[in-house]
Amino acid sequence: MNLSDVVRGRQVICCVGSGGVGKTTTSAAIALQAASEGKRTLVMTIDPARRLANSLGLKELGNEETRIDPQLLAAAGIGASARMSAMMLDLKHSWDELVKEQARTPEQAQRILDNRIYKSLSTAMAGSLEYIAMEKVYEVHASGRFDVVVLDTPPTSNALDFLHAADRILDVLDNNAFKILLAPMMKAGKFTMRLLAAPSGIVLKTLARFTGAAFLRDLSDFMLAFEGMYEGFKDRAGKVRALLKSQKAAFVLVTSPNPLTIQEALFFHRALLDDGIRTAAVVVNRVQRDPRRLGGPDNLAALREALVLAQIKDQDGLADRLCQTLTEQSSLADVDRREVARLRRELSGIPLFQVPRLRKDVHDLAGLWQIDGFLASGDGGE
Amino acid sequence: MSALTESVLGRRLVVVSGKGGTGKSTLSAALALGAARRGRRTLVCEVAARERVSELFGRPPSGTKIREILPNLSSVHIRPREALREYALMTLKYETLYKIAFENAAARYFLAAAPSLSEIVMLGKVWWHAAQEMERGRNRWDLVILDAPATGHGITFLTVPSVFLGLVNEGPLARDMRGMQELLADPARCSVCIATLPEEMPANEAIELDRALRKHGFPPGPVFLNACFDSRFSAAEVAAVTRGGPLLLAAGESADNHQSRAVLTAYYEKVLREAVPRDLFKVPFLFERTGFGPSSVEKIAASIGALP
Repeated sequence: MNLSDVVRGRQVICCVGSGGVGKTTTSAAIALQAASEGKRTLVMTIDPARRLANSLGLKELGNEETRIDPQLLAAAGIGASARMSAMMLDLKHSWDELVKEQARTPEQAQRILDNRIYKSLSTAMAGSLEYIAMEKVYEVHASGRFDVVVLDTPPTSNALDFLHAADRILDVLDNNAFKILLAPMMKAGKFTMRLLAAPSGIVLKTLARFTGAAFLRDLSDFMLAFEGMYEGFKDRAGKVRALLKSQKAAFVLVTSPNPLTIQEALFFHRALLDDGIRTAAVVVNRVQRDPRRLGGPDNLAALREALVLAQIKDQDGLADRLCQTLTEQSSLADVDRREVARLRRELSGIPLFQVPRLRKDVHDLAGLWQIDGFLASGDGGE
Repeated sequence: MSALTESVLGRRLVVVSGKGGTGKSTLSAALALGAARRGRRTLVCEVAARERVSELFGRPPSGTKIREILPNLSSVHIRPREALREYALMTLKYETLYKIAFENAAARYFLAAAPSLSEIVMLGKVWWHAAQEMERGRNRWDLVILDAPATGHGITFLTVPSVFLGLVNEGPLARDMRGMQELLADPARCSVCIATLPEEMPANEAIELDRALRKHGFPPGPVFLNACFDSRFSAAEVAAVTRGGPLLLAAGESADNHQSRAVLTAYYEKVLREAVPRDLFKVPFLFERTGFGPSSVEKIAASIGALP
């Protein structure tokens, strides 16, 4: 079984895992594979570092879907009929669009867009990146413009931020407890500290001592501005969630053989499971290949002999250096094998794909296509 | 004094920033070890979801209470919820008041909506340890090392004080954020380092991070290029061995792998030296069969000249 079999028929593929494990590369490789099978494919990245742009040899990615030049695809040996697009999500822009779309009037939209709480919500709040990414995936998916959307998730170290982003944002948009506290002000249509009546007064005054009253004023303005829009948001978030939990979506866990990232991958897997989502596949990137699979001598004396047979001069301690290097590379392979085996035990039953550490960084289509070769070579199940 | 002791270990607050997986925690541990050996009372603050530094020294996790790992070396895991509670209690003085104000549904909402409150209280705690905490009439810590969150979040994390002060300019939090902002901008007391790897993406991100950090005026500390491979073979040697016949296949592949990583190391070292106006320290790749431990930290500290 290869990875494209595993995700066949899935319309939304989310690549999750900790930062620095090659998630962007894997997402792009999965998208490229789907495109090569004739599917209209989009890969979405939310990483501000423009990694995908690098990987795809594109100069710029905006919030727009950018079609990859078919000639580039053809040049990399991928069918010229493949239709693949890429986009980098502009967080703030996406939030603004969502607000404009959901607001009942342009005035309401403007009032929200100008609010300082909204500005921080849309740019800095934990989970807001994740929320808008999933929201955008839903929108693109629902538009029917693509057969497959691959999402390269933010390099969050916290799986829960990702999974509970919607709940968190919705809670900010509509919190009953806070509404009750603020009720007198909401009725008055504006916030003043003088209106604070006990017992809610003490809570608000204490909070105000902590951050200053201006913040509370902004917050209640924000809630007033948002009135009537909550249902739309909630409805939308529910649909996003349903999509991600459905058979249309697949979660691919990406990791490296590093024990720490494996730990995080397992944590992510369990968090998904708690949410009723089963990991579809695991991709382990940068696995050291074992030089010993090629056979031959591995001790100093035998290496010296081999050099003599090959008529290579053992100058400047060449045999010693080769021996040391062989030992080091073998030990790297041992460590990686042990870690992959551990991962396989922990995730038994889930297809696992290994991509060897390559001689060069992957940052072009040909490199991605090479990775697809490894992802197609099947789960070596031990 | 070496460049490192001068520009890093002699400061009050050292921030180790960089992309995830670039070895920030190991580096924080190595810097802390060097400082502690020099007799500086050192505290490592970890803000990631999982703490790592105590484990690197072969010790149990420190948790949210400061724990001594070695003489002069302590660590603490700063988590938003506990930091908030501690911070609020410090500000509000009364436990009951804290409970009424913070432990209710409305406050949970408030805390979620407040701009980066988690980061604020975590940073507030770091600042308190670095600048405020006293013991016997002097600062309790000579050096506080902050193992910062991964790049994207890292710069956001450090700019939290100015973002917050743009929104709020009264109250105890604002006062403390002003203190933190001053400390983070003071080259005599603070140094912000970058950890990276000799690979395309981490190197590019280090260059972007350097620009962003300098743009915001954070005092530039060195770049640490982790996991470096030394050049061990000439190109001619690799070519000869890889063509050396069946007996040398494994040796040839190993040599080729090693040398290609050495070439990448040299290439990205050059790229970084040209693009990033900071000192650069190379940290060798360590072949540790059983994972990183105290001896790895020792080796890294020695390689960058952190040890006395």
